[in-house]
Amino acid sequence: MTKQVQDQVLIRVEGLSKSFGKLHVLKQIDQHVNLGEVVSIIGPSGSGKSTFLRCLNLLEIPEEGHIWFDGVDITGRDGANARRRLFSKAGGIDIDKHRQKIGMVFQHFNVFPNLTVLENITLAPVLEKKEPKAQAVARAEELLERVGLLDKRDEYPRKLSGGQKQRLAIVRALAMEPEVILFDEPTSALDPEMVKDVLTVIRDLAESGMTTVIVTHEMGFAREVSDRVLFMEDGRIAEEGTPEEIFGSPKNPRTAEFLSKVL
Amino acid sequence: MFLENMIKIWQRYDYVFINGLFGTLWLALITVVVGTILGTLVALMRLSHSRILYGITGVYIEVLRGTPILLQLYFFWLLLPKIVPVTMSDTACIIVALIVNSSAYVAEVIRAGIQAVDKGQTEAAKSLGMSDRNMMQHIILPQAVKNILPALGNEFIVMVKETSLASVFFVGELMTAYKTVQSTTFLALPSLTIAGLIYLIVTFVLTKLLRLLERRLQASD
Ligand SMILES: Nc1ncnc2c1ncn2[C@@H]1O[C@H](COP(=O)(O)OP(=O)(O)O)[C@@H](O)[C@H]1O
Ligand SMILES: [Mg+2]
Repeated sequence: MTKQVQDQVLIRVEGLSKSFGKLHVLKQIDQHVNLGEVVSIIGPSGSGKSTFLRCLNLLEIPEEGHIWFDGVDITGRDGANARRRLFSKAGGIDIDKHRQKIGMVFQHFNVFPNLTVLENITLAPVLEKKEPKAQAVARAEELLERVGLLDKRDEYPRKLSGGQKQRLAIVRALAMEPEVILFDEPTSALDPEMVKDVLTVIRDLAESGMTTVIVTHEMGFAREVSDRVLFMEDGRIAEEGTPEEIFGSPKNPRTAEFLSKVL
Repeated sequence: MFLENMIKIWQRYDYVFINGLFGTLWLALITVVVGTILGTLVALMRLSHSRILYGITGVYIEVLRGTPILLQLYFFWLLLPKIVPVTMSDTACIIVALIVNSSAYVAEVIRAGIQAVDKGQTEAAKSLGMSDRNMMQHIILPQAVKNILPALGNEFIVMVKETSLASVFFVGELMTAYKTVQSTTFLALPSLTIAGLIYLIVTFVLTKLLRLLERRLQASD
């Protein structure tokens, strides 16, 4: 890896806890993501990987703990009252503005079927960032070119394959010029022959210096692109380290057990 | 004999029935159109974060769906002239009552239509930092329309029949037309049969058109 990971924290998480009813999904997580860093999260299904990712852009509201983004505590000062404060702008945090800085790509793409490929990309920048239409279109075309979808610009998503939809979803997120992009199993819903194209796009992005957090079952990919790998189990980060450490010589027996099952 | 009477009545009073039919269609249309606007507002209030709005609209819907429509017609017919400063005709009172009644049903149709849109769409819009309003306007409602339109068509067909209750107040529509004809001819059963046939033809045609629309909407998926 040639790129330099700067030692500047972009996201810091402290004592993060989340429950669904009686189910404790995240248990006091402390973590951070540095600017330009590529972090992979691996672990068994149901261990809380998606929930952790979704807390970072407040798609889930954590009951306890703090998340600092660019030095701002986006949960409000007091985690116990976070929910109430987040839904009122009076709390000082504009949740929409915050989310604009964090791109997210979902397992099931979630492209907008009622909009063309181009409209999928330009809608949010034009509406929410008041970007001039022509400028948004120009950048959208540039991005589409980069992922090999320019010829589809006026199609509706139903005409696209799964892999094309996911590349569109990535481009849609990038059009907001986020500071970090979160991937939640971006290739898990794809036919095997389409996985490679999508992974190539993600790899290019990661290598270009984009701060990236990716939940994935593609262990080879995680090993190759990550600066750091987190192994998550039962709502906790059970182990973390460089890809060499995690995949080469895991310290936690649970990590070893998990890897022996999936590799 | 019966058939002869029907033909005679039709030859003499066809315009009464036809005017009645236009009255019925117009009543049903205005009810569903304005009821849809009102119902959309009710549905959006019901889906908002506010508990108070959720509660109020819940009561609104329950009351209107849990009481007979004829009772509601009487209620507005009695109430409105007392509380509205301008004089209101019976017809105006009945139209308001029908609209309010329809809005409760439409609100539930729209709420269900919105909730049937894949949750991933909301999450994607939110993850892009879209405001609730923009998300509703550009992503959710355009997709919900496909779920909602057929149900609205259905509501229109229901209203074509339900507006017959307005004849109790002699509002100009098809059932009132029947009353007019039978009171001059004293041939109740043949007159009623004519009105019935007209209702049947209209609802049959509308149902067919609705199926066509549904198929179109499905094809565009
Ligand atoms: N919205 C929700 N409501 C209730 N339970 C949920 C919800 N989302 C996730 N869970 C539960 O939380 C646990 C962790 O889920 P998730 O974060 O999706 O795990 P992973 O992504 O690692 O598979 C699972 O047991 C899941 O069933
Ligand atoms: Mg998951």
